[in-house]
Amino acid sequence: MNLFQSITSALDNALAKDPTAVVFGEDVAFGGVFRCTVGLRDKYGKDRVFNTPLCEQGIVGFGIGIAVAGATAIAEIQFADYIFPAFDQIVNEAAKYRYRSGDLFNCGNLTIRAPWGCVGHGALYHSQSPEAFFAHCPGIKVVIPRSPLQAKGLLLSCIEDKNPCIFFEPKILYRAAVEQVPVEPYNIPLSQAEVLQTGSDVTMVAWGTQVHVIKEVAAMAQEKLGVSCEVIDLRTILPWDTETICKEECFLNLEAPISRVCGYDTPFPHIFEPFYIPDKWKCYDALQKMINY
Amino acid sequence: MRKMLLAALSRVLQGPAAAGRTGAVSEASRVMVASRNYGDFASEASFEIKKCDLHRLEEGPSTTAVMTREEGLHYYKTMQTIRRMELKSDQLYKQKIIRGFCHLYDGQEACCVGIEAAIKPTDHVITAYRAHGFTFTRGVPVREILAELTGRKGGCAKGKGGSMHMYTKNFYGGNGIVGAQVPLGAGIALACKYFGKNEVCLALYGDGAANQGQIFETYNMAALWKLPCIFICENNRYGMGTSVERAAASTDYYKRGYFIPGLRVDGMDVLCVREAVKFAADYCRAGKGPLVMELQTYRYHGHSMSDPGISYRTREEIQEVRSKSDPITLLKDRMVNNNLASVEELKEIDVAVRKEIEEAAQFATTDPEPPLEELGHHIYFNEPPFEVRGPNQWIKYKSVS
Repeated sequence: MNLFQSITSALDNALAKDPTAVVFGEDVAFGGVFRCTVGLRDKYGKDRVFNTPLCEQGIVGFGIGIAVAGATAIAEIQFADYIFPAFDQIVNEAAKYRYRSGDLFNCGNLTIRAPWGCVGHGALYHSQSPEAFFAHCPGIKVVIPRSPLQAKGLLLSCIEDKNPCIFFEPKILYRAAVEQVPVEPYNIPLSQAEVLQTGSDVTMVAWGTQVHVIKEVAAMAQEKLGVSCEVIDLRTILPWDTETICKEECFLNLEAPISRVCGYDTPFPHIFEPFYIPDKWKCYDALQKMINY
Repeated sequence: MRKMLLAALSRVLQGPAAAGRTGAVSEASRVMVASRNYGDFASEASFEIKKCDLHRLEEGPSTTAVMTREEGLHYYKTMQTIRRMELKSDQLYKQKIIRGFCHLYDGQEACCVGIEAAIKPTDHVITAYRAHGFTFTRGVPVREILAELTGRKGGCAKGKGGSMHMYTKNFYGGNGIVGAQVPLGAGIALACKYFGKNEVCLALYGDGAANQGQIFETYNMAALWKLPCIFICENNRYGMGTSVERAAASTDYYKRGYFIPGLRVDGMDVLCVREAVKFAADYCRAGKGPLVMELQTYRYHGHSMSDPGISYRTREEIQEVRSKSDPITLLKDRMVNNNLASVEELKEIDVAVRKEIEEAAQFATTDPEPPLEELGHHIYFNEPPFEVRGPNQWIKYKSVS
């Protein structure tokens, strides 16, 4: 299955297992703009898979309501760039519900999915990676998979998790990433990073599409510099797996300052996109400089 | 009599040369037509236009519109330029010279041309992403629009914005996030009122955006403070792939302002749009507060270039609109039938427009891209040049404001 098919499979499992589950968002009924919800409406009916009008704040607010009342709400925001009208609902309502009601109420049944990240031609408003905005908000969980196999397991965990979760799906991988994925449901635990490759010289941490970039960089480093790299996929951004990441490095033991490799501090550009994204060469460059520090 | 003779002559000239030398033929017929006396035409004509549906208004715009020959030719040329520019953009997109997003305006030309005809250059306009038409009517030359689409430095936003982010004086874009431009429009209207220069602001949005919460917040503020803001909903019947019936509890978008008076206008008729906007602008300038206007229009292309536009509507429907309500054809028929222009003259304009678009496309394809140094520019205003963090701590770009 490719990534969007694994998402469909996860949603199919969720709707089958949980009779209260509903899937909604803009254009989900016909299958969604990235085909993540194809076939679900025919299979589960139009009162479980339905379209909303164009109103992100409304979609999330509405989803919080469904979740609080006890049903499982799986909301789709059409692009992560459009999540900002709903930011208030997520941060001020969803995240704080359990805390402010002393555990009387909660919207743990809410999961928000959104296509995420650069895609090559998205420019300012179809390429953003807004997980950093949510990463400092206690009460929600933020998860980003790197592949179809990971996506299905993580999404099912998010849906079943008793906390509101935001699940960002790397849109560039929707068709590009293909793996063998089980048809039956399975879970991958949240808040656990995965060490994809062990190494002794440099640790590289990434999530989503970037994991594939650093895997390439690790191979390049091994081949050209003889440097042994450890590659870690963070998977859950919030709450993140401090144990795994910090296990290998204690600040006092570091031989070089920690290096962050990311986009520029500018809005996501239109014509400059190829220069903006942190491709393997920029990562490799950073790695080289770190080794030579 | 003379007219018929000339028409017969130009037909004769075109006949034998139809095989190939079109350049020579049009040259020849141009010469023939140029020797014609333009005093043959009427200087203006009066037209009956559709009455607007009204909401909370006692009177609406006039049902008669007077159009002079100059005005007609100008509207025709402008609409034809926009039409050909959009078709050229379609072509360039399919050749992958334009990338990213491209939302085309063909079919809706009467809206932007009618609006521009009714307002002054000192008035303000803000719209959403289907903005190429407005960019042109507000004064940006075609070559700068096409160069912006291809992402070159000759573009109106220096190649950094693309299709959805085009701007010029008193035209605030070009906005990607649906509905976000409407509160901005109200803010501009507040500034108009505050500066007391008798200007108005037109805030446009689509039928999909009409369901956004921030629009209703804006209606409230505009009505409360009597802002000179005209809210214009360009209802082209589909919000991306969703028809209005499936998205809106009420498709009477001109009534959605509830406490704000509204009018519903035939958006395929440039004169209808012009009269309605004139009426609205006078209303706002008189200090009576905001108005909501719904322009009933249609787009021939899909939502964007990645949408074929036929999975949610039939080809027959598109054809029907093209044959019965095309804004350019409507204007052309009016002008020819009322002796404001001849078919040949309008054809001449078509040829001139085509040439202009070709040249602009040539410029847009050959102009160089903006230099990489500009990646970090224009983040802030007037700061001394500072360094912008790049993908890793050793790559930096300078930001100049």
